[in-house]
Amino acid sequence: MKRFFDTDTFREILDSLLRNKSRSLLTGFGVFWGVFMLMLLTGGGQGLKDMLVQEFEGFAQNTCIIATSATTKPYKGFEKGRVWDLNYADVDRLKSMVPELETVSPTVSLWGKSVTRDENTSSRAVVKGARADYARIETPKMMYGRYINDADNLQERKVCVIGKRVYEELFPEGGSPLGKRISIDGSYYTVIGVDWKDSGGISINGSASDAVTIPINQARRAYNLGNTVHLVCFTAKEGITMSDITPRVREIVARYHYIDPTDEQALFLLNTQLIFGIVDNLFRGVNFLIWLIGLGTLLAGVIGVSNIMMVSVKERTTEIGIRRAIGATPKQILGQIISESIVLTLVAGMSAIVFSVLILYGVELAMTEDGILKAAFQVPFGTAVLAALLLAVLGVAAGLMPASRAMQIKPVDAMRDE
Amino acid sequence: MLIELKGVHKTYNNGQPLHVLKGIDLNIEKGEFVSIMGASGSGKSTLLNILGILDNYDEGTYHLAGTLIKDLSERQAADYRNRMIGFVFQSFNLISFKTAVENVELPLYYQGVSRKERHAKAMEYLEKLGLTDWSHHFPNEMSGGQKQRVAIARALITQPQIILADEPTGALDSKTSVEVMQLLKRLNQEDGITIIVVTHESGVANETDKIIHIKDGIIGEIEENTRHTAWDGPMMK
Ligand SMILES: Nc1ncnc2c1ncn2[C@@H]1O[C@H](COP(=O)(O)OP(=O)(O)OP(=O)(O)O)[C@@H](O)[C@H]1O
Ligand SMILES: [Mg+2]
Repeated sequence: MKRFFDTDTFREILDSLLRNKSRSLLTGFGVFWGVFMLMLLTGGGQGLKDMLVQEFEGFAQNTCIIATSATTKPYKGFEKGRVWDLNYADVDRLKSMVPELETVSPTVSLWGKSVTRDENTSSRAVVKGARADYARIETPKMMYGRYINDADNLQERKVCVIGKRVYEELFPEGGSPLGKRISIDGSYYTVIGVDWKDSGGISINGSASDAVTIPINQARRAYNLGNTVHLVCFTAKEGITMSDITPRVREIVARYHYIDPTDEQALFLLNTQLIFGIVDNLFRGVNFLIWLIGLGTLLAGVIGVSNIMMVSVKERTTEIGIRRAIGATPKQILGQIISESIVLTLVAGMSAIVFSVLILYGVELAMTEDGILKAAFQVPFGTAVLAALLLAVLGVAAGLMPASRAMQIKPVDAMRDE
Repeated sequence: MLIELKGVHKTYNNGQPLHVLKGIDLNIEKGEFVSIMGASGSGKSTLLNILGILDNYDEGTYHLAGTLIKDLSERQAADYRNRMIGFVFQSFNLISFKTAVENVELPLYYQGVSRKERHAKAMEYLEKLGLTDWSHHFPNEMSGGQKQRVAIARALITQPQIILADEPTGALDSKTSVEVMQLLKRLNQEDGITIIVVTHESGVANETDKIIHIKDGIIGEIEENTRHTAWDGPMMK
């Protein structure tokens, strides 16, 4: 008794597939297309998610930002439309009254400032005043030097961290700008760092690449801001759900400023955890759809294989009859048809995987900037392995019906239909 | 006795039942060279298919080399066909996407003979039939006579005791028919293979040593024809 899968059997199968090329191609194409679509969609979905996640890159996932605008509701004798600001007291109050908070960091920002190095080189930027702990809210990617530290702030040093675009405009010759001085509104600041963070969609007070960050105390003095703070950013301690504490934060801030706690426009709380949650859910949905569509297409392909093999078994009645007449057992015929089906599905499916990986690789190359990959569009390895396993199973399944049909063929059938 | 049929009946039951064989009694000795003749539809092919275990019969007994051939499992039947019997058909029945030598090899493939060995053996048989130059051609590149010789080589490769040929010359011109019959005769005489040929050509039947006439589903006259005088015209269609 021959073994089921020796090389000889394999050559016999390969021969009958290769020498009936158009039939095999036609049969394999359905599976090829199904797998190709599935891989491309999952890879593409992965890439899109990556791109979206990058928009939030560098933000602590449990960050919340408090911003203010004019009141929209009258409250305790105040008319609506009152303009108000956060101040330093809010920062201290939150820190002491809400123990779940980890970092509470105030910032001020001054828009549309002209920054100059000499007569010929200048740039427009947002001047941000920040404390050292702001780095825990929005992580800088230091290209040169360091971020603002506590000493800078305490001593009100005239130092600055510049963003990528500002650096490129002020220092077109490249190289380290550390120690160089730039002027903003007549004051000179020494560059102590370059923040290379290229923030995407989400940014607090403008993109990090357009910013010149100076110690907040220096900013308050230079621009006569007094106790005013433009934004207060805070993070929650590990394990704390941000939305559990935001009502209390709102309550505390609102009470001291006589703001209606239900006035969500006057006191605006941006909870990034909520946004991350939405994005996560969105992509869970997108993934589900991708798999639904991909598997549907794949299934259609497999049914196609089964169908065409069914037709081909009918076409091959004579051939199979001859094989039976000269000594093939029904089991051997069954084995042959199922093996043909497996080989076809596997080859078609594998080439689809390879092909889609190549295409996704091309997309990644197109997305790469300065040798840094912006988003990974590749099919996860696990998905590919899963797809391969699935294919083998589907190959057997697709071959079952045609094979059982082929088994019914009697040797005498070879003699008919002439 | 190599082949022994007693009261064999066969009815086809697709739609209208058709009683084709109505009690066939037939004995064929080892080494005989016989032909079966009869009108179209008389049941010649049906009988040959039963002899070749390609088809079942309903009643009676069929002993092949002493073994009762009845209700065999598919595996047993396939094994008997593979080892005992070689088939030659009117329409050659070569597999179109296989070359001559691959077609000849195929029965040995199903015996599990190694690739190298069966290739060598197939080449040997093709050489015996003068087809060495055609071994790597596909059937559609060969003439009818060549195809039939490939089919005969395929029938011979398992060294069967019996060759069953259903109108082997039916698709050939008279000259090629003569060649094929000479070849079968040589195989019978030199290798002692039992050969049964179904034909409705008297000239072809005349080449055999015994002519069995079948009429209305039963065996009619059995002519001894050792001197090949059953038909005196030139062998042609
Ligand atoms: N599989 C089948 N199902 C139904 N009827 C069949 C089948 N095979 C043959 N027959 C019928 O049985 C009868 C005998 O057929 P068979 O092929 O044995 O005749 P034959 O003697 O070989 O004829 P010919 O000389 O034309 O080849 C015919 O009437 C044929 O139509
Ligand atoms: Mg016939």
